[in-house]
Amino acid sequence: MKTVLTGNQAIARGFYEAGGLIAASYPGSPTVEIMETLKGYDEIYAEFSPNEKVALEVAIGGSLYGARAMVSMKHVGVNIAMDPLMTFTQSPINGGFVLVTGDDPGMSSSQNEQDNRVIGRFANMGIFYPGSSQEAKEFMKIALELSERFKTPMMVDITSRVCHSRGIVELGNRADMKPKGFTRDQEKYTMLPPHTTKAQYFMKERIEALEEYAYDASFNILEEVEGANTLIVTSGLMYYNLKELNLPISIYKLGMVYPISTKRMKELREKYENIIVIEEMMPFIESELKLKGIDCKGKEYFSFTGELFTEDIQEGLYKAGIIKERKYADIKPVNTVNRPPMFCAGCPHRPVFDILKKLNVTVIGDIGCYSMSVLPAWKTSHVMYSMGATVGITKGMNKAMRRNGDKKPIVSVIGDGTFFHSGLPGFIDLLHQVEEEDNMTFIILNNSTTAMTGGQHNASSGRYNHKDDMHVNIKTLLNAMGIENVKEVDQFEYKMTRDIIRQATREKGISVIITARPCALKYKIKEPHYYVDPEVCIGCRTCVKINCPPIRMKKYEGIDELKSSIDPDACVGCSVCSQVCPVGAIKRSQ
Amino acid sequence: MNKNIMLAGVGGQGLVLATKIISEAAFRAGFDVKTNDVIGLSQRGGRVWGSVRIGEKIYSPNIPPKEGDILIGLEPLEAYRWIHLMKDGGHIILNTREVYPTPVLLEQEEYPYEEIERLKDRYNLVEVDAVEEARKAGNIKAANTVLIGMLAKLLTIPNNIWEEIIRENVPAKAIDVNVEAFYRGYNFA
Repeated sequence: MKTVLTGNQAIARGFYEAGGLIAASYPGSPTVEIMETLKGYDEIYAEFSPNEKVALEVAIGGSLYGARAMVSMKHVGVNIAMDPLMTFTQSPINGGFVLVTGDDPGMSSSQNEQDNRVIGRFANMGIFYPGSSQEAKEFMKIALELSERFKTPMMVDITSRVCHSRGIVELGNRADMKPKGFTRDQEKYTMLPPHTTKAQYFMKERIEALEEYAYDASFNILEEVEGANTLIVTSGLMYYNLKELNLPISIYKLGMVYPISTKRMKELREKYENIIVIEEMMPFIESELKLKGIDCKGKEYFSFTGELFTEDIQEGLYKAGIIKERKYADIKPVNTVNRPPMFCAGCPHRPVFDILKKLNVTVIGDIGCYSMSVLPAWKTSHVMYSMGATVGITKGMNKAMRRNGDKKPIVSVIGDGTFFHSGLPGFIDLLHQVEEEDNMTFIILNNSTTAMTGGQHNASSGRYNHKDDMHVNIKTLLNAMGIENVKEVDQFEYKMTRDIIRQATREKGISVIITARPCALKYKIKEPHYYVDPEVCIGCRTCVKINCPPIRMKKYEGIDELKSSIDPDACVGCSVCSQVCPVGAIKRSQ
Repeated sequence: MNKNIMLAGVGGQGLVLATKIISEAAFRAGFDVKTNDVIGLSQRGGRVWGSVRIGEKIYSPNIPPKEGDILIGLEPLEAYRWIHLMKDGGHIILNTREVYPTPVLLEQEEYPYEEIERLKDRYNLVEVDAVEEARKAGNIKAANTVLIGMLAKLLTIPNNIWEEIIRENVPAKAIDVNVEAFYRGYNFA
């Protein structure tokens, strides 16, 4: 039977068909849908963990017991999981183990463009690189088999396009895989010297064996064209983008991009005049080939950053002299009004950032929907790097400021998902070496969901969703840790919230403010809409500046000046606009 | 039949479900199909776009420049943004409901009404207030189904397949409204 699946759904299906049992993940674009799909298979234990490190550890536990296990995360998520990964990889694998990681060439939804093939090699893992939904499913199954056969952890590295792309997939049945059980063997599973010393040789031999297997493995496909003198080495979606050009050249398509068979490449080098590597982001395959002494070209013709579309491949091959004419015109997109993302109507983050903007304080931001406070409409977060980083950065900057006699306030914002992910250790650190001059304000934007990736549950979701099994009370937790100055506010009480935040920034010490309102989108908040009375409106645009989708200036019949207006279909009745209006022109409809 | 279909809209308009429905209908009608959705930084309010490529054998899900046959604009500005992908004389199905982006809301830039108006000079443009048509069918949430109905008119996939796929993809209580919305689109002059 065949069906249409996204790359993400196909990854999950592959794990299912391979008899996978234990799966964990932390939500991050572009791989979120993998776990959402896995949760639909009753036979699989599947969880969103608090962070990628815990998710990896859950999968490791399953694998150690001999169950087939997987963990999925976005590319930067692997950075969080690196510590257990780099040590676990020294063990011979029991139950098949796959780390699925979603790279994001072009960064449509990421804070950097790291190429995780580098991490796979660094961690001594074989790396599969699917280019279609069908391949995503097949490579998952092959990776799990090879993982057991070569006792190696495997990586399936999938790019954002392939995650979200749909294609036709042939479905298979689920294999009946019973976990083999855990056999105590300290030499294999306790990583202290001298076990670790032996492990280095074990890992080297393991990769060499996998390389030997890669020589004529069915997942690496050689398509030779009679009389061709150029060989393109490529993988993943780049193969399909290249095929659109329908060129009379030979192609070696790597299903597994690491390790690459030296023997095979030497044979091909003998046979072809030119070898050109086409790959997105880093020159990974190109570097591998050059290390093997295989003369080839790649990044001198193709960009090191962003996605490579068919027309980019065409352009590179033209520059390389491989093709003499271009099939596709080089037409640039029109230059028109941009559409940056914005906080939803009724978003509980809006009043907080309006207050912070007006207070004109330095804000150390973090990762979540509230990252959008960086965008031009707000420009209210001034530092933003990675998950949970705001807490430590705020502390460090505060210490430097106070030692420099700088008494200005510093504000940190962090969401509940990020708080549980990796913010907590930072809060523990706040208890250490507290000084009289310290002045830090932490605002925990508790909307009771991991909103930006589509509203996954987290440790505080139980507050609004009674079916959810976790309800960690952040205030109680912080109090128990010894952080005493913790206030909870309803941020839709605008003036009270402003006064509490302003007071906190003015007083010394550590102030924590937890906002109470849930995500309007996740929890489908819909209150009676608000409307503007154009006779009262003075056209000051204070409400427009809170950048809410339904609010804009409009021409009313019989009134010369533009006045504010609210689209009743889109308004969800949070009331914030009516509270910032200086003349009371915005009223509730019922 | 070989068709390259581009979809463009605003986060929250339901573009991902629309590409899913179109691709499943094409598959069930016996074609090869690949799609692409790009969701930007956020769930709501940002630009989103997708492509569906239908044919005998499809390699890449991406539509190269000037290879687009049909452009479905869930929102006018977003349709205009992708016009470089379209063949001259290609079909544009345009929902006329504007969703204003931040630079327009903040009165920093003008909404490109004139440029959008001129699209009919170079392309086969059909405009529809899909929200209004959906309202007539019974629910404004079925606006994309109206547009899918208009698309169906340009393809060779039988209507019973479209109906089947719509039934499989919308909530049970919304089936009748969506089937009605589909035919309103299909019969839209």
